[in-house]
Formats: sequence, structure tokens, C-alpha cells
Amino acid sequence: MEKLKFVKVLCLVALAGLLSVPSVSAEVPAQILIGEPATITGTHAKAGEQSTSGVQAIIDWVNNTYGGVKLGGKRVPLKYIKYDCESKKEAVTSLLERLITVDKVNFTLAPYSSGLTLAGAPVAEKYRMIYMDHGGASNTIFKQGFRYIVQTIGPATHYHRGTLNLIKRTDPTAKKIALVYEDDEFARDVMAGAEEYARKLGFDIVFKRTYPKGVMDLTPLLSAMNAAKPDFVIGGGHFQDGQLFTRQLADLDINPKALSLIASVTLPAFYQALTYNAEGVMGPSHWEYGVKFSKESAKKARMAWTGPSQDEFVALFKKAVGKDLLPDYHAAEAGASILALVEGIEKANSLDPDKVRKALGEISFMSFYGGWKIDATGLQVGHDMVDVQWQNGKRVIVGPENARTGKFVYPMPTFAEKAKGVKAVPKK
Amino acid sequence: MVYEQLMGNLIQGLILGGIYGMATMGLSLIFGTLKVVNVGHGQFIMVGAFITLWMFNALGIDPVVAIPVAFLVGILLGFICYYTFVRRLRKGPAFASLLATFSVGIILEETVRLIFGSEFRGYNWTLGKVRIPFTVIPYTKLIAFSGSILIAVLLYLWFKKSRAGTALRSVVEDSLGAQVCGVNVDWQYALSFSLGIGLTVASGALLTMFIPVGINPNMGGQYTLKAFVIAVLGGLASPYGAFFGGLVFGLIENGSYTLLALLPDVEPFALTRFLSFVILLAILLIRPTGLIRTK
Repeated sequence: MEKLKFVKVLCLVALAGLLSVPSVSAEVPAQILIGEPATITGTHAKAGEQSTSGVQAIIDWVNNTYGGVKLGGKRVPLKYIKYDCESKKEAVTSLLERLITVDKVNFTLAPYSSGLTLAGAPVAEKYRMIYMDHGGASNTIFKQGFRYIVQTIGPATHYHRGTLNLIKRTDPTAKKIALVYEDDEFARDVMAGAEEYARKLGFDIVFKRTYPKGVMDLTPLLSAMNAAKPDFVIGGGHFQDGQLFTRQLADLDINPKALSLIASVTLPAFYQALTYNAEGVMGPSHWEYGVKFSKESAKKARMAWTGPSQDEFVALFKKAVGKDLLPDYHAAEAGASILALVEGIEKANSLDPDKVRKALGEISFMSFYGGWKIDATGLQVGHDMVDVQWQNGKRVIVGPENARTGKFVYPMPTFAEKAKGVKAVPKK
Repeated sequence: MVYEQLMGNLIQGLILGGIYGMATMGLSLIFGTLKVVNVGHGQFIMVGAFITLWMFNALGIDPVVAIPVAFLVGILLGFICYYTFVRRLRKGPAFASLLATFSVGIILEETVRLIFGSEFRGYNWTLGKVRIPFTVIPYTKLIAFSGSILIAVLLYLWFKKSRAGTALRSVVEDSLGAQVCGVNVDWQYALSFSLGIGLTVASGALLTMFIPVGINPNMGGQYTLKAFVIAVLGGLASPYGAFFGGLVFGLIENGSYTLLALLPDVEPFALTRFLSFVILLAILLIRPTGLIRTK
């Protein structure tokens, strides 16, 4: 009887010992699953193509060049599972549930755009699931008290800071500014940030309006804006409206000295659709091919470097997308969010969401995308934006000073001049 | 200043309204004759937009030439749709044809996406601008507006003066009576459906002359919604009423912006949409047959 009791106690002690000793290797899976309700079709399909290919490119680098994620003394490959949310909020929530409960993914990525990111955030919270935000820039997302969302894209309120700095430096006499944005979560945040910063720099806001999503004719709004005689115009929302905005400015022969639009300007489709009318139009970008972030610049900034070089990323992206297409910032920020996740997992040495979230809050690094660091709410605070301008059919980085690949053309040619063949080319 | 802006916006609204009207005539024609609600209406407009885009960007053909091409493609699509499913479902519950046209819309969307991808595309066809009092109008918009009026007039003449148009009207008024008089009712239905789709696809070409950017496979949805509002405004079963409804809608949408902007602390654009639907609701309540009364 005594012997049996002793064996029981021994078994209990052994079991308790097994449970209490942290043994990462016992948890190490054959692969780490990352799931995304991606915008493969629908309104944000273009950004979806870029971002999913950017994710795939970095996963390729992690698995084949880096050798896998270091976890519990092993190297574990990443696997990407994506479903098409058709750019619809209702699909985002159900697909996230499916990824978490059926596919049993370890981590999730938010779909592109602030609205869709915000739609999925409560689901990620419900399941205590890390939710990497690569395409939702709205600050509103980070004011809801979510604990598992982590941003890589820069916050919306910072979008036009570089543009305003650039114009102030180039033309101190330009004072009157028009703010015209799409009426959605993301663009409203951009407008609020731009307004605050513009006032800080001493600009006068002479016109401030929003337009609804899916707008088909901006003529009344642009006519009213023209009556306010702004020196320059900043605004936009996404892709369709950016093209419409520029085209109808041309139709109405309204000629601001500078026009900076968010999102649409950074895509080749903008110039393809507008041709010469796009000359001189500018926009903020989170990343642009040509920006030189490297191991050397990381060393100079005293930051840790991770991930492929820019050229390696471009090659991997082209392989992932399956055509000769250059990545844009949607691809870069999505890829960088995977690099951040890898850094977080390695620092936590765990797949536990709380441990990884804590680790993500402690790391900062530089990659081909630039700096990466988040604050306590998960908001990105370590990444600076660049300004691009269409010059002679090409996107040129015109700001900030230390990142630019060309001079800022100001004022941009009038639409009548552009129609006669005048290009936005810097004067020598 | 407000007066100038208002006048400028009304002129622009009238031009856009003419194109809206043209884009709704097909919907009304099909409903008027077959009592089929084409929920895939906007996707047929999208097909017309892509035909124009492709002809201009790939072949260098002017959008004006694309209008008859789009019309013929629409006619062909209309006959295919009629003989494959509309004829069978026409006499069934309204829900069946509604779902069928919805499905066709999705099929068209996905087919175009497969061929052209999901990018927002555009073309740049410019012929200069005319500066008139209050506003500036590109000639391309004027051509689109004139084209819309011409097509509406031709359709009216065809209906009123031609033998085929008379036969079609007889079917609309009394299909049994028309059959007794020797009219091939089934053929008239097929013709009517095809003509409706042809007009819709052609309107896609005209719409791109007004807005030649943002062309993408998903663009149809917004036009469907707008077309239903306009059709109700003008009289759901009347193609001419639809054209008139389009003009009124364009004027309300653009004209009201200037007036609503005078209100403090409001976003006028959001209110123009609100106002459009308030008017729609009012018309449904007060005059459910639409502004143009059909006999």
C-alpha cells in the first residue's frame, strides 16, 4: 500500500515537473502558419496583389535564405494561407474566424485598407490572436483599446507632413491650402493630421471638404474649391478617386501649384490612366523603389538590420507575383510586417501571442522598408514616409532630403501646358 | 459667386444627367416590355467601358467608334442571355429572373477581371475644351452628351415610326392581342431584351467619355444603384421617362451641392446623395409611376 502511494506521488511530481519546466522544443511545430483574409478581388484588388506578393516574397526569403524562424533551437519555416475577402468587411470577419478556428493559424495578417483592418480587429482580439496590420493606417484603429494589433504601415496622421515641409521649404509665399479627402476612416485621419500640421507650419486652410466613397463626379466640389483660390491642394483617398480627382481638375482647367494625393499616385496605373495629366502630381508613400535603406544606413542609425536587401526583395517579389512588376509600398509594408513578426517570435522564443506581442513592443529594427518600432498601442512610430512625384513618366522621390532621387518640380506645369507636351522636369 | 457656381454645376449636371439617362434607358426598356428587373445592369455598362478602353488603348480607335461596336456587342449579349435563360424564366417568379440577371452580372465581372485584371484603368482622349459662361467643358463630354440625345431620339423614332417599333409597342400593351394579329411575340421579347442590353453597353462607352478613368471590373455596382433611382424617377417602364429622369437626377445631384454647401458645418456631397434618395422616396409615395406618365 505504502509502495503504491509512493509511486503515485512520484508520478505526480514527475507530471508537475513536466508542466513547470519551460520546454519550447516540445511546442515547436513543423511550420508556422500565417493567415490573411486578403483583398485579392474587389475595390482593393490592386493593393491586394501587391501585398500578398510582398508577404510571399519575404516568406520565401525567411524559409530559403534565412533558413527559417529560430524557435526552441530549431529553424521553422513559415507557411502563408490566404483567402479572398473580396475587399468586403463582412467577409473579413468570417474568413478570419475560419483561419483561426479551422486552419488553426498561429498569426494573422490584416487585409489592406483601414476599414477592413478595423473590421477584423475585434475577431483577432476575441481569439487573442496577433493581427499584423500592414495596410490600415488610420489612427482610429489604435484608439479602440485592441491589444493584439501591430502596425507596420505609418500612421495616417503623418502622411502629409513631408509634403507640407517640402512645399514650405520650396515656396515660403505659398500660404493657401485646400484639403479635399475621401470620406472614410483612413482619409479622415490623414486630413486631421494634415490640417493640424499645416496650421503648425503657418498655412491657411482656405477650403476643407470630403467626398463620399465611390463618387462618380467631383465637378461641383472642385469648382467650389477653385473659388477659394488655393495655392496647392492635398487630399485623395484610394485609387479610383485619385484618378478622377486629377482628371476632373484637368477637365475644369484648375491649376494648383502642387497637387498631392494619397494612395493612387504611387501606382503605375495612375500614370497609365491619366498619361500626361499625371505629370507633376505627387503623393506620400511609405516606401518607393530606389530608397536606399541598407545594412550601412542601419549601422549609421544604430539600428539592427534584418531581411533582404532592396534588390533581393524586388527579385523575390517578381518571382512571387509571377510577372515583371515592380513592388510598391503595399508590397514593402506587407513584407516588412512578416519581418517584424519573425523578429518578435525569435525574441519571445515562443508562439504564445502574449509573449510575441510583448516582444514586438520591445524591438526596433531597420529593413529594406526602413525603420520599424511601435508604441504601447501597437501604432507604428519608427517609420518615416517619402514623397514621390511623377516626372517625365517616372516616379521620382523628391523628399525628404536624405532619401530623394530627384529635385522637386514646383510649380507643376498647368494642364494646358501638359496637353502641349510640357513635362514635369526640374530646371537645370 | 454662389450664382456662378450654381449655374456652372447645373450645366455640368445636365451633361452628366443626359448620360445617366442614356445609361438607364436599357433598364427601363427591359422592365417595360418583359417585366424583368436586370440587376446586372451596371455590369453591362462596365462591359461597354472596357470595350471603349480596349479599343482606344490597344487599337488606337476613338471612343466615338466604340459606341456602335459596344451597341452591337450588347445586342449579341442580349440575344444570348434571352435565349439561354430569360425566355425560360420570364414567366416564372420575379425572383428567378432577378437572381439570374444578378448571376450574369457576376459572371461578366469575373470574366472581365480574368481578361483585364483588377487595376483601375483609364484612357486619355482629349479634343480640347470650350470655355462658356460659368464653366469649362471638354469637347469629349459634349460629344458624349450629344450622342446620348441622338440615341434617345433615334430610339423614340424607332418606337413611334417604324413597323418593328409598332409591333413591340403592341406586345407591351397587349401581348395576346398582338399574337392574334400575327406578331411574333417571342421574337419581340428577344428584340426588346437585346435592344435594352445594347443600349446599356453603348452607354458604358458614353460614360467613359465623361469619366475616362477608374475603369475596373467592379465599377458596375454603383451604376446599377443610380440607374434604379433614375428609372423610378422617370417611370420604371418608360425609356424616355428614364432619359428625362437622368437629366433631372444630374441636375439635382450637381445643383444641390452649391446650395447645400451654404449650410454651416455640413459636408454637401454626403447630403446630395441623401437628397437624391429622399426625392426617390417622395416620388414613390406621391407618384409611383414616375415623373413621366406612361399610357
